[in-house]
Amino acid sequence: MSNDGNIIKVKDLRKTYAGGTEAVRGVTFDVKEGEFFGFLGPNGAGKTTTMNMLVNLVKRTSGTITIDGFDLDRQANEIYARIGFAMQEIGLDETATAREMLELHGHLYHLPKARVKEQIAKLLKLVELEKVADNYASTYSGGMRRRLDLALSLIHEPRVLFLDEPTQGLDPHARQLIWNHLRDLNKKGMTVFLTTHFMDEAEALCDRIAIMDKGQIVTEGTVPQLLAKHEAKTLEEVFLKTTGSSLADEEVNLKASDPYVRGRR
Amino acid sequence: MSTFFSDWYYLAIRNIRQIWRPLLALIPSLFIPIFFFAVNSQALSAMDKAPGFPKGVSYRDFVAPVAIFTAIFFSAGNAGIELAQDIASGYLKKLQIMPINRLAIVMGKLTEVAVQAVFQGGIVLVLLLAIGVRVQTGILGTLAMFGMLVLFAMAWSCIGMIAALRTQNARLVQSMFILVFPFLYLTTSQAPKNLLPAGFRTIATYNPVTYIVDGTRALVLFGWGDPAIWQGFAVVLVLFTVLVSLVVGSFKSSLK
Repeated sequence: MSNDGNIIKVKDLRKTYAGGTEAVRGVTFDVKEGEFFGFLGPNGAGKTTTMNMLVNLVKRTSGTITIDGFDLDRQANEIYARIGFAMQEIGLDETATAREMLELHGHLYHLPKARVKEQIAKLLKLVELEKVADNYASTYSGGMRRRLDLALSLIHEPRVLFLDEPTQGLDPHARQLIWNHLRDLNKKGMTVFLTTHFMDEAEALCDRIAIMDKGQIVTEGTVPQLLAKHEAKTLEEVFLKTTGSSLADEEVNLKASDPYVRGRR
Repeated sequence: MSTFFSDWYYLAIRNIRQIWRPLLALIPSLFIPIFFFAVNSQALSAMDKAPGFPKGVSYRDFVAPVAIFTAIFFSAGNAGIELAQDIASGYLKKLQIMPINRLAIVMGKLTEVAVQAVFQGGIVLVLLLAIGVRVQTGILGTLAMFGMLVLFAMAWSCIGMIAALRTQNARLVQSMFILVFPFLYLTTSQAPKNLLPAGFRTIATYNPVTYIVDGTRALVLFGWGDPAIWQGFAVVLVLFTVLVSLVVGSFKSSLK
């Protein structure tokens, strides 16, 4: 980590896709160690592209990224060893059990064998998957899959956890469970970088929030700071004023592709 | 490099586990070669009396090595399909943001292909031995045959993996299964080259699979002195080197 206490440092990050679409247009921000940082924005604002650039899954056009003092261009493996990432698309090996996946990930993060066992026991308990740990992932419900995905991203106890829409598709109970886990992890010192469409989620969890629109950060601060700065009563109002999009519209878009919400209607 | 071999090992274990899950998925790639062997060796059995057919060799023995080759050929397509599934599910992205050597991901896949090739080829070999087919070059020749076929399986699997990385579409990769038929049948798999029609013979001459079939057959039927053996090894080594290099390149370029 650098001397200024920032564990993530992003400077003038840009992404222009082939064909000329500018998905991210000069984004600069820092995240302090131990902070719970929220990234909000309408669909297509560039949130996921930004997050994918931070973890090196998308090549950036320009800009610099430093995580825990390591430069992403030159020290990617050092960064990979320090980050966890629970993606919007839950990438599981359908032919493996939760225990097998956790075991594989523990070994691929080069943890000692005894530690892998300890971590598996601890994480299965944490995400309440102990009873189904030896069932194939293909038999899991949406909530169980999300929780397993979270456990996989935590196997090596990362210093920074990236979460892209971690509660999408979850019922209220599973959502609350994930929130509690995230709060606990953050209290223990883990830095969390979260993108979400849910305002209640951002308000409940995040120390600081940045709102992104059309590839740029349009405002940034704690919830009270944002409310004061934009003379708003709610975060939704801040969102509306800064992006021109209604959160209701965003949530309708999101819920249209959300199996839990779609099924509930 | 210090963690390369352990990364390779654990990824190979994960991939090898996929071979048996589900176990029923193994049946088609075992059934098809046995079925074709049973049908062709009976239906075309009179071919061994044709002028120009190798003397003292029955048609059943002539096509027996092809049954082993086919079992391995069919199994080699799975690696591409599994890779496409890993891409579609997002699982490959998880591997990409781990502190592991990218080459270990490819090597883990190739190891799976090799294990499946030995397993499926071994089952067909045992069945052929049980009905009286004999490998003229003995145990060493059997090992050489499996060496050649495993290298071919790994090379062929790279085509599916390249397609998976380029298209990221499991259905398209799965449909590439049909490529096996022209590459397998436009060769000397069913008849010696001198008995093929002129046009067919030309295609077979340029089809690299012909040399693998002939090399395998020479190890089973004709003994170590047959030049088809070293020709088969030469062709398979070129295919392996080129295709593995291409899949590694595709892997690197697909990361961004």
